[in-house]
Amino acid sequence: MSAAITGSSMVTCLGDLEATCLALLEGRSGVAPLRLGDPGKLGVTHGYEIQDGRPGSRPRLAGDWLADCVAEALRDAGVDPARRRVAVVVGTGLRELRGVEQWHADGTPLHLTQLHFREAVRAAVPEVTEVHTIANACAASGYALALGADILELGDADVVVAAGCDTMTESMLTVIGKVTDGTSDMVRPFDEDRPGVLLGEGAAAVVLERPEDVPEGRPTLGVLRGVGLTCDAYHETAPDRAGIVAAMRQAHEYAGTSPDDIGLVVAHGTSTGLNDPTEGAALLEVFGPDGPPVTAVKGAIGHTSGGSALMSVLVALTAMRAGTVPPVVGLRSPMPEAEKLGLVRGAPLRARPRLAQVDAFGFGGVNAVTIVEASDD
Amino acid sequence: MTDRDPQIVLAGWAVHVPGRTAAELPGSPQEPACSAADAKLVLGRKGLLGKEPATRLALCAVHRALGVPPGRTPGPVDQAAGTAVVVASNLGNVETVCTMVSDMREGGGAAVSVLDAPNASSNIIASSIAIRYGFTGPNLAVCSGATAGLDAVQLAARLLRAGRARRAVVVGVEPADPVARDLEALRPDGGALTEGAGCVLLGVPGAWTGRATVTIGSVERHGLRPAGAEPGVGSHYGADGVIGLAVAAERLASGQATGPLTVACGDREDAWAAVTASRLEPIGSAA
Repeated sequence: MSAAITGSSMVTCLGDLEATCLALLEGRSGVAPLRLGDPGKLGVTHGYEIQDGRPGSRPRLAGDWLADCVAEALRDAGVDPARRRVAVVVGTGLRELRGVEQWHADGTPLHLTQLHFREAVRAAVPEVTEVHTIANACAASGYALALGADILELGDADVVVAAGCDTMTESMLTVIGKVTDGTSDMVRPFDEDRPGVLLGEGAAAVVLERPEDVPEGRPTLGVLRGVGLTCDAYHETAPDRAGIVAAMRQAHEYAGTSPDDIGLVVAHGTSTGLNDPTEGAALLEVFGPDGPPVTAVKGAIGHTSGGSALMSVLVALTAMRAGTVPPVVGLRSPMPEAEKLGLVRGAPLRARPRLAQVDAFGFGGVNAVTIVEASDD
Repeated sequence: MTDRDPQIVLAGWAVHVPGRTAAELPGSPQEPACSAADAKLVLGRKGLLGKEPATRLALCAVHRALGVPPGRTPGPVDQAAGTAVVVASNLGNVETVCTMVSDMREGGGAAVSVLDAPNASSNIIASSIAIRYGFTGPNLAVCSGATAGLDAVQLAARLLRAGRARRAVVVGVEPADPVARDLEALRPDGGALTEGAGCVLLGVPGAWTGRATVTIGSVERHGLRPAGAEPGVGSHYGADGVIGLAVAAERLASGQATGPLTVACGDREDAWAAVTASRLEPIGSAA
């Protein structure tokens, strides 16, 4: 199921992919006092918002970032959607529920087609043959990558854009305020004093093409080797090690790789009480105590939910090409369960991995584990 | 992976539109389908606390399509391991989300029940089905508007064709609470949203136990409603495609219809999707 990754685009609170990777290398975080809603009532004081200053009279829409990313990624890949069949798979955690909330509570006008992303994508790229909106929580864009690679392999399209996007909702912030104690000032993956998760926002998109369709000499960002998809079938919100390990093993099976081949792990690393020890134990089960370096991005960009998996994939590809792995931003002192993990701490790690594993796990026990390979050009 | 482009068969189906019977809507129960509040009649009492009406109706449809006896199943059902779940729904959690915001703005987070927390995530229906019956395969929540039902069928068929799963439980469901009704009324031809769920069990041949009698072709896209399509089955928005397919399967399997039946869903804004269902062999030849 290998697919060439021939274009990309991304936006986070830290800017585009280049700006985000630079901040990661410098250990900078995009966290700031929360602007959305009433922090006192939400029980959440900080977030990783995109400060784009859009006026408040229209709903704040993830679809705007998504549309920009999809169009930009296709331009980056040099794909003409009028000449080739382009399918789009969008992974999202919260859809445009922010727009629904504003419609309900503030009387902001809403068009029902804004709740999913077909119209937003078609406005930017009218020729696309199909647009799917997959609401798969925080694993959503990993699922989009998998479904996109399958569409290519089955010959149902010539080019696939796999994308992810989210903006934060007051309802999900309320949930986070209830499960953290409202004192979290930053996401600190794998830290012994993890304060819990904070939301981020943004969008990311990659263009996938069959390797044989990429003209010789054309540079690519890397190769999508395989994605494992499982569901824990265990709990609505808590993760389960068995389901996560199954997704990792399935990813390697589809990719034709073994854990020993992996030179970098970009962990899900949400800084919650349950995810980090569960993920750490799963990584140790799969890789053993002498596993590859592990980094995580949510201390810098927050939990971007639907975009999270793809953003981690793009950071992994960038790190592999640069030969520099960013540290886990926000990590001070690792939790005891992470002592045997090769967490990248404090400063960037000079390394030249060729294969990376990227984890993404969501509410409902949905897991997507992606294996990507660096390109040689 | 596996056999490229295997036939996709339907091994089971059910329609669960509260108040409707098999005589009115093929695939429904003989007695009027129970309401979401009475879902315990199908599912048993346990495990329904905090479950939204859409999740309850979806579980009722799955339960009946699987053909398991009424009441809580005592653990994973047969063939649960590796089975995919693909759920089409747009409005399942909109009332919860809006109520949470109103309550939070009024009284802070303390005014919001922790039981509602999982419902803030739009994949709650698909994960609830997986948890109740033990389905550990790929788990998808498809929220793509009026074509969501057949988008879900298409994505499920791709999971099977790509070898990611051999069985897929496909559900279409929408509630009709006040928030869902008000939102649906924003559609150009909206305003008549009716709650209901449909379920079809898709598989590659032999993946589900029992003889499959119905097969489907590939899902096709259309700018307008295909002229030869079966009449609509109600106003179920994102659930229309799956409910329509379950109705067609029941009509084909029971001999109420003989020829291939084309099921369509969509609207002016989201365009249309269609799929054709056929009997695997002529009536009478299966003996």
